[in-house]
Amino acid sequence: MSTVVTTNAIERDLASIAGEAWVSQGRFEINGIPAAYTVSPGSVDEVAAIMRFAHDRELVVAPAGELTKQQVGGVPERVDILLSTRRLNHVEHYDPGDLTIGVGAGIHFAEMQRKLAEHQQWIPFDAPNLNTATVGGLLATASLGPLKSGFGGMRDFCIGIQFVTAEGRIAKGGGRVVKNVAGYDLMKLMIGSYGSLAVITRANFKVFPATRQTRTFVCSFPSLTEAMAFRDSILKSPLTPICLEIISPRAPEYLCEPPTAHDPDEYVPSQPIGRLSNDWHVVLRASGSDNVLARYRRELGPAVARELEGRAEDQYWSWVSHFEYSILQRHRNAMVIHSHVAIQNTGAAIQALERVAPDYNFIPAMLGRAATGNLVMGFVPLSVDPPSAMQYANCASAFRALLPAGSSAMVRHCPKEAKGHFDVWGSSPTDLAMMRAVKRAMDPKNILNRGRFIV
Amino acid sequence: MLYEYDAGVEKSRPGAVVFPQNTDQVSRVLRLAHEKKVPVVPRGAGTGLSGGAIARKEAIVLSLSRMNRILEIDIPNQRAVVQPGVVNLELSNATAPFGFYYAPDPSSQKACTIGGNVAENSGGPHTLALGVTANHVTGLEVVLPDGRIMELGGKAQDSCGLDLTGFFVGSEGTLGIATRITVRLTRLPESVATLLGIFNTVQDAANTVVAITQSGITPAALEMLDGWLLRTIEAAVHAGYPLDSGAVLLIELEGMKETVEEQAEAVRLACMQQKAREVRRAKTEQERQLLWLGRKTAFGAIGRISSSYYTQDGVIPRTKIPETLAEIERVAQKYGLQIGNVFHAGDGNLHPLILFDGRDPQKTANSRLAGKEIMSYCLSVGGSITGEHGVGSEKMNLMPLMFTDDDLAVMMRLRNAFNPDSILNPQKVLPETHMCREITGPLPQAKVEPAPGVHL
Repeated sequence: MSTVVTTNAIERDLASIAGEAWVSQGRFEINGIPAAYTVSPGSVDEVAAIMRFAHDRELVVAPAGELTKQQVGGVPERVDILLSTRRLNHVEHYDPGDLTIGVGAGIHFAEMQRKLAEHQQWIPFDAPNLNTATVGGLLATASLGPLKSGFGGMRDFCIGIQFVTAEGRIAKGGGRVVKNVAGYDLMKLMIGSYGSLAVITRANFKVFPATRQTRTFVCSFPSLTEAMAFRDSILKSPLTPICLEIISPRAPEYLCEPPTAHDPDEYVPSQPIGRLSNDWHVVLRASGSDNVLARYRRELGPAVARELEGRAEDQYWSWVSHFEYSILQRHRNAMVIHSHVAIQNTGAAIQALERVAPDYNFIPAMLGRAATGNLVMGFVPLSVDPPSAMQYANCASAFRALLPAGSSAMVRHCPKEAKGHFDVWGSSPTDLAMMRAVKRAMDPKNILNRGRFIV
Repeated sequence: MLYEYDAGVEKSRPGAVVFPQNTDQVSRVLRLAHEKKVPVVPRGAGTGLSGGAIARKEAIVLSLSRMNRILEIDIPNQRAVVQPGVVNLELSNATAPFGFYYAPDPSSQKACTIGGNVAENSGGPHTLALGVTANHVTGLEVVLPDGRIMELGGKAQDSCGLDLTGFFVGSEGTLGIATRITVRLTRLPESVATLLGIFNTVQDAANTVVAITQSGITPAALEMLDGWLLRTIEAAVHAGYPLDSGAVLLIELEGMKETVEEQAEAVRLACMQQKAREVRRAKTEQERQLLWLGRKTAFGAIGRISSSYYTQDGVIPRTKIPETLAEIERVAQKYGLQIGNVFHAGDGNLHPLILFDGRDPQKTANSRLAGKEIMSYCLSVGGSITGEHGVGSEKMNLMPLMFTDDDLAVMMRLRNAFNPDSILNPQKVLPETHMCREITGPLPQAKVEPAPGVHL
């Protein structure tokens, strides 16, 4: 009985802060653990009030945006409050002349991008799901896409950040100008912290004039070794492509519209297996005038198998961005590992995938940023003899063991049943003690995303 | 004594100076200091401009100058691993034969060290397109204030978990001491074009900056010098700047030769449309060096004509350049001071040089008041108190103008997680709690006698 009273009290208190219409019970699960309440505050002050309330009562809070990546990470011990920033979705300021924008954390990235497009500007960023993903969520998960090769990532664009601490203080780092070293770089700390340090409520970015013309060159190679050698020749050349991807032979299967939907476990490839190509692809996207693009064609020479431009090109790159989700749409039990490696370890990491996956009843399919070593490794379960929960864990361990030193491998997606058997974040980084000290400093009661992140 | 100074405005004599040769020795010094509760102030080349390396008399200065070896140049991975005492320009010189360089280029790059750059998150004229130090450091070995040695990041550009590497860069020696630094190397551009746009008024030059950055071109560097300053420079080094112009823009474009040629033409047109009197383009490397000579020796030139000056590092949104320059002019007239302007126009990072006679207490006081007014104006238009020089001890009291008590409290907690007793570089960056509210605190002091050979 007393539980019921307390429960109702929580709902009442949340409603007194955010309004009854913005509080609901249950409805959402994180890796099988239901969130007791969902609350969508309408202002930063309300976020602060909710955090003060949660902190007083030691309620576990999961900061959330549009829930596109809430299943990433460990299984939470419990989730008392899912705190949605969805209503903090305003453009706070946009100064086209200064090339800066400030937005609420809950705005869809694509909406911000549309605003920028009105002035022929953009943020060169193409992580998956930008139509629904929120800016706050993309920052918290350090998301990235193919444009990372040419332009960098969130840590290179974000010039200021506002957040609410576990104790309910509103604080900020950085500012509105593109160059600024006053105080600690709290942007770097928040980006990739997976909601474990604070609730991100607002962010400022530097923006760029939009590229006017691009063209994509798809180059084909019979082996990984040849593809990597070609990548190295590009890195040594004067060419400065904005994207440079390596794509494994089985990945193009996922770079197209999915076949007619039916039970994902009965997915049938669109082409007969026998016709699958064994070619590796290195794909460049170049931006510039006709002259510049002609130079690319000249220098790349006979390696180019086909060229893409216009809508077909945009469509192609949106599939590349969306790759891991295309795999998951077709095989809900697939495992996807994000691996960050030194440039010259790209080949070794891909070989590790190709070697390990079949041993554990997976088909390997990967692509990634060949110039920066950010790889998306897909492990597609065999439909005839699917892997057991333990096989996911063993496969991830075997893959990690084969990676060169200094690499990281984080399991982004796998069935929640498998998560009980291993740590999705991977082997402990050497600075884990310091990460934990930072976590304790920011969230002494451990109420933010308890048990889900590395700290 | 040399270790009383940096290139900024303050001085103080430390109790002792130690010169460790390796990480282990740094760790032992810090462990001992931690046990005895003796403050330690890390120091690179002492070219900092914010008093970050100034130590009080009870403190030990830990000089990284003997840890000056390039440990590895790894071209295939586009990385170099260096000790903190390696001089910035030496790294670029060492990698140039392979066709690579280290992109951040503070004007003191002939003297300043990579370790100091990491502490300050240093910029430079060429960071407009390629980013500041934080964008170029992927890994650090650091010694924490209690002597523990820790690896952050590595050769991979990203890693799993919190980005402590990114957080550490720019922490001004208050979180730990970097003893090994892994940096990105950048391919030398195929082609470089250096242009000098000559304008009758500062306003025309400022409008050109906005026109260029909005046109879709991000120059490698976009610098502005005002008329008074370029005449002063011309008297010192004969860089070929026209004596009767109101302002010049120094614009550099880098990249593929096709791109550079197209952009050079577009930039020339943008200058002409904004009423440039003339646009010159360096035809040879010698001409290019000459154009840059004036920019890089601006501070030395000032040293010839004024016994005392101090420089600020405020940042403003780019579109506010014209009105900010007008405001600086107004302040100069109000206090009867000469203020020269040389700055990174492309990213709105101003360096007003306030000249005064350091022997005259009234002029000295006026220069401080003028500085404060300029800084307040920068903040009122949405700017920052420092773009690349750091807070150090000089701008600590300005922090509450930018940050609330809560902002500073969060930063303080994070510092305490690394440096709980504030033994390492005490009284830098973050004002102590009671000072958080004291926004009218002491003003930055004036620089007297700029250190010879040290340029901004």
